[in-house]
Amino acid sequence: MLKLHYNLERVSMGLVAAIIIAASVGGIVEIAPLFTIDETVEVPDDLRPHTPLELAGREIFIREGCYACHSQMVRSLADEIDRYGPYSQAGESAYDHPMLWGSKRTGPDLARIGGKYSDEWHVRHLIDPRSVVPASIMPAYPWLLKSLDTDLLTDSLATLSELGVPYSDEMITSAASDALAQSRPDSNETDGFRARYEERPAIRAFDGDPARLTEMDALVAYLQALGTLTVVSETVVVEVDE
Amino acid sequence: MSKHSHREIDPVTGHETTGHDWNGIKELNTPLPKIVIWALILTFVYSVIAWILLPAWPIGRDYTRGLLGLDQSDIALEDYRALATKRQDWLQPFENVDFSALQADDVWQNNALPAAQRLFEDNCAVCHGMQGRGIQGFPVLSDETWLWSGTPEEIAQTIRYGINTDSADTRYAEMPSFNWMERPDRVALAEYVVLLGDGSVKPNAAAATLFSENCAACHGEAGIGGLENGAPALNDSSVIYGQDFSTVMQTLWSGRQGVMPAWTDRLTQAEINLLAFYVSRLGADEKQVAQ
Amino acid sequence: MIATLTVSERQAGLLLSIILAALGLAMAAAARQGVMSVHGFLALGLGVGLAFMLGGAIYDPEPDEDRLRSYYDAPTQFGIVMTLIWAVIAMAVGVWVAALLYWPEATPLWPETSFGRLRPVHTTGIIFGFGGNALIATSFHVLQRTSRARLADSISPWVVLLGYNLFCVWAVTGYLMGSTQSKEYAEAEWYADLWLVVVWVTYFVLYLRTLARRNEPHIYVANWYYLAFILVVAMLHIVNNLALPVRWSSAESFPIWSGVQDAMIQWWYGHNAVAFFLTAGFLGMLYYFLPIRSGRPIWSYRLSIISFWGITFFYIWVGSHHLHYTALPYWAQTLGMTFSVMLLVPSWASAGNAIATLNGAWHKVRDDATLRFMFVAAVFYGLSTFEGSFLAIRPVNSLSHYTDWTVGHVHSGTLGWVAMIVFGAIYTLVPQISGRDAMVSSRAIEWHFWLAVSGTLVYVVAMWNAGITQGLMWRAYDENGALSYSFLQSVQAMAPYYLLRTIGGGLFLAGAVICAWNCWATLRLAHGSAKDRPLLPQPAE
Ligand code: HEC
Ligand code: HEC
Ligand code: HEC
Ligand code: HEM
Ligand code: HEM
Ligand SMILES: [Ca+2]
Ligand SMILES: [Ca+2]
Ligand SMILES: [Cu+2]
Repeated sequence: MLKLHYNLERVSMGLVAAIIIAASVGGIVEIAPLFTIDETVEVPDDLRPHTPLELAGREIFIREGCYACHSQMVRSLADEIDRYGPYSQAGESAYDHPMLWGSKRTGPDLARIGGKYSDEWHVRHLIDPRSVVPASIMPAYPWLLKSLDTDLLTDSLATLSELGVPYSDEMITSAASDALAQSRPDSNETDGFRARYEERPAIRAFDGDPARLTEMDALVAYLQALGTLTVVSETVVVEVDE
Repeated sequence: MSKHSHREIDPVTGHETTGHDWNGIKELNTPLPKIVIWALILTFVYSVIAWILLPAWPIGRDYTRGLLGLDQSDIALEDYRALATKRQDWLQPFENVDFSALQADDVWQNNALPAAQRLFEDNCAVCHGMQGRGIQGFPVLSDETWLWSGTPEEIAQTIRYGINTDSADTRYAEMPSFNWMERPDRVALAEYVVLLGDGSVKPNAAAATLFSENCAACHGEAGIGGLENGAPALNDSSVIYGQDFSTVMQTLWSGRQGVMPAWTDRLTQAEINLLAFYVSRLGADEKQVAQ
Repeated sequence: MIATLTVSERQAGLLLSIILAALGLAMAAAARQGVMSVHGFLALGLGVGLAFMLGGAIYDPEPDEDRLRSYYDAPTQFGIVMTLIWAVIAMAVGVWVAALLYWPEATPLWPETSFGRLRPVHTTGIIFGFGGNALIATSFHVLQRTSRARLADSISPWVVLLGYNLFCVWAVTGYLMGSTQSKEYAEAEWYADLWLVVVWVTYFVLYLRTLARRNEPHIYVANWYYLAFILVVAMLHIVNNLALPVRWSSAESFPIWSGVQDAMIQWWYGHNAVAFFLTAGFLGMLYYFLPIRSGRPIWSYRLSIISFWGITFFYIWVGSHHLHYTALPYWAQTLGMTFSVMLLVPSWASAGNAIATLNGAWHKVRDDATLRFMFVAAVFYGLSTFEGSFLAIRPVNSLSHYTDWTVGHVHSGTLGWVAMIVFGAIYTLVPQISGRDAMVSSRAIEWHFWLAVSGTLVYVVAMWNAGITQGLMWRAYDENGALSYSFLQSVQAMAPYYLLRTIGGGLFLAGAVICAWNCWATLRLAHGSAKDRPLLPQPAE
């Protein structure tokens, strides 16, 4: 062995090859099966992709670095189920490019935040967290009241559909108007939106002002959708209840 | 490497060098300390045991399950059920409540109160404040005035289905917008409402007529409230949005429809009743503390 | 630096600068607005600036023929300067970010200075800006010395260093403007990622070509580590960053991986960024500067072999320990846990080998603050890897994950190990390439040492307390089976620790500022260049 190494370390390309081999095995063994093992690749039947408005909100969540303080992954531990709700399942984030499971909880987990609070609360909390939670150490985001740029939405949906997220051509072409419709309950476009996204996504003036489509609309729509894209999570609760 | 070399010996350790010299750096050919080998073996044995007992190695479209047959989600649910069972002792009475029986019960003080407090802090406090004292825009729960009713049963109903939510059983309450009203009238009303709040209003002010025509249906004559329709009393110190002139003008202009979320999907029946009971007593407890 | 290049090299450099400027212009023009156009203009500015510098000096006197008989240290010096600049900036941002968690309103209400945007500026700035420049700069130094050969050419080191720093600047300014992929330690957007691939390939080729000219048949251990660092980082970077841009003219992109596969790939990357960036590379540094400074031979060649291959082979398996109890399948977690435990052996073997090397030089450790930096680094390396293996055990991780304990572990590794070994290397290297016997002020080194050690201890101990408190509060149940604390109570409990951490970080930063001053003063008083020389002069290519 020693002799072998003694020779290996004289040949730079040999060393290079040996390093590549040694450092590849683990990754291949752990990653490749995640694409083949049946129970891992399963996608829940009822999983819906984000609406354009929610997707825009997700991009804002990423842009502002919310993931630096908030996880979106309820671990399979009794206390987390107790505090946050049903543990997260792999299928729930199947359409998430990238996943936002997070690695630090300076603030609470957000995987099940959808529907927990009202839109108005979120708006006030985001504009000034300490006005609603005096002890909060979360930053304030008053600039989210500026108008939402929907320019990239069509291309975003198209890109995601190339990556396998089930957006139809119609969804892709009407992405920008669907974003507007979802934030404007009284507009004419809501019918088209409902036809494409069905009953589940909420249509509301998320920021409280139907006249303007703001980044706040998008972010709050996203937060209110978290944990509601599939109902698998509920099966876990039912199991516990019986 | 030949064993019988004449390589330099390091005077400090007495070990032989490997004979290389990289710009002054040399290496000793010190044999591997036994402890390293043993540590490798030990950690490897630990790993093999873990691999045998736990799910570990992927094979094709499946993986080895391990002799213990463990599944992390099952374990978590089992632990969770164990906790739920443990809680049954004192949470059970809240399942189908007879609240009056609980009033005197020390199950409450000793067992349920801390749990209720934690549930309140994790779920309700962001809107109603840590002690239920409310924040601007969200009602105070620690006083004796209620939008709906202060009985635990009614409070439980509010918590379960919320106010102005998507739930089919939601309570519904809306303060309509009076933006159609002439501005001078709105100003008069607002001034009137401000005075209602501190009790200094003149009973036969001109605005009083406006008030009884437009507002009394919901807020009661002279704003005494208590109609349990979600409209707050306006003649007391308890406010949601604010009873100063400009806030009232804002309320009249745009109307109000506060949302209290529904908790049926998030909390169990017993937890909701527990919270209802806790909330119903906040006012009384607050008074006690004050005395 | 131009004085070290021949006319034809300057011409080649000029051409490359013009290409860079053209690329930048094309990028700015295609994007028209937003972060990508700002970055295009940055590249344009750099290209034009370099072109002017080179063009203006193109017919200046050439270096004498003798230059090939000495080591090429100008890039190393530049890299060290960049290391120090990034150190001061990124540590200051670290202190700032730490302060924000104690005084959340300390920063004006600008998007650019909000916590979520500044935090990756700190992590990228410090790991890639500070750590990366230190690795590249020292690798050039170590590679040449241990090969007794000059760098294979004089252009590619500059391509590597300037290109790499352009990447770092793109990355951190991007986050400030809100452009990020959110993948931890790989937040930079797709075009920056692509650019880094070009830089990295240049680096690798330069490394191999220089190794090929070595005058010592055996490749020294430090170079094994540097090689592993270069190779594996390339592999990780490419796989983790695969993404489809939304448009070619826009900075936004979607990573091709999603959900659980993305999580595993992200932490396969994330952990091995720790392993091959923050560990392997710095072990290379340790393996050179520790024996040089202490004047002692490496304690055991055989132990070096075991630890090197152990680290290279085991590390790659353990990324899944960042995903314990998550939706990642249990089997992958078991592998991550067990390999993390096995990994402790080669890790401690390296730390042990370093410390045993100091046998016979303990009096120097006592007297020489520079050597003491390296000794403390080895000790913290041992401590943080022990802690890491411990945290990787599932039940322990159930407590520590998501808490500040992880942050404590991170900084015992990065402050105690990474930064300390860098400072040790800098204090050894800077006088040497300035042709001096010592740094200008040895008292300043002593001050720096104690500031760094006390800063690290305050930081790490505060975060251990914070993390364990948090973890325990989150899962504390009363005897009736009800959770004892609300989340907000745990937030409130953190305040004193966050304040302490800010103070500890401040001490550490103060030390780094002293170091920067000391290096500046030393480089300013340089007496020519390094006195050591390559063995056989090689003909130019
Ligand atoms: C500095 C860390 C930090 C950052 C960055 C941060 N938060 Fe928070 N967040 C907190 C803390 C601490 C709390 C708990 C106190 C509170 O409710 O404000 C919290 C609470 C929340 C809550 C309420 C969760 C609950 O269950 O009560 C939501 C929703 C939220 N944050 C969303 C966001 C969004 C969206 C962003 C980014 C735009 C963000 N946060 C950025 C620290 C942060
Ligand atoms: C998102 C904010 C929010 C949260 C969280 C919230 N509430 Fe409310 N709650 C409200 C608002 C707003 C109202 C008043 C609705 C209205 O204006 O008509 C209200 C009203 C109530 C009322 C009726 C008060 C009365 O006078 O009749 C009760 C009782 C109540 N909440 C209890 C709770 C409890 C218990 C929780 C936690 C499980 C909770 N709330 C969580 C916003 C919230
Ligand atoms: C259809 C019923 C209805 C009518 C008519 C009505 N209100 Fe209200 N009002 C409400 C409800 C319900 C609320 C509570 C809204 C909430 O909490 O979101 C409310 C809230 C208010 C508040 C805010 C109280 C606080 O605590 O901040 C003021 C002030 C008020 N009303 C004044 C008036 C005046 C003046 C008029 C007549 C011009 C009037 N209301 C007519 C139902 C009504
Ligand atoms: C002046 C010294 C430093 C201070 C004050 C400091 C402060 C911080 C703070 C406040 C955070 C964010 C933690 C959180 O989100 O709660 C952080 C994260 C981080 N820092 Fe530092 N830091 C310092 C030095 C360094 C150095 C020298 C390195 C690396 C070489 C480093 C690497 C990191 C990393 C990798 C993280 C991310 C940790 C994680 O995601 O868990 N830091 N630092
Ligand atoms: C044997 C060696 C090591 C092992 C087994 C190990 C293990 C771990 C574990 C288990 C975590 C926590 C993951 C989580 O719960 O989220 C972690 C986080 C981390 N470690 Fe280590 N560690 C080791 C050495 C080091 C060293 C030497 C450094 C730095 C120089 C380091 C830097 C980090 C960083 C930056 C993170 C934070 C990742 C993140 O969440 O952003 N580790 N490590
Ligand atoms: Ca709106
Ligand atoms: Ca990237
Ligand atoms: Cu790790």
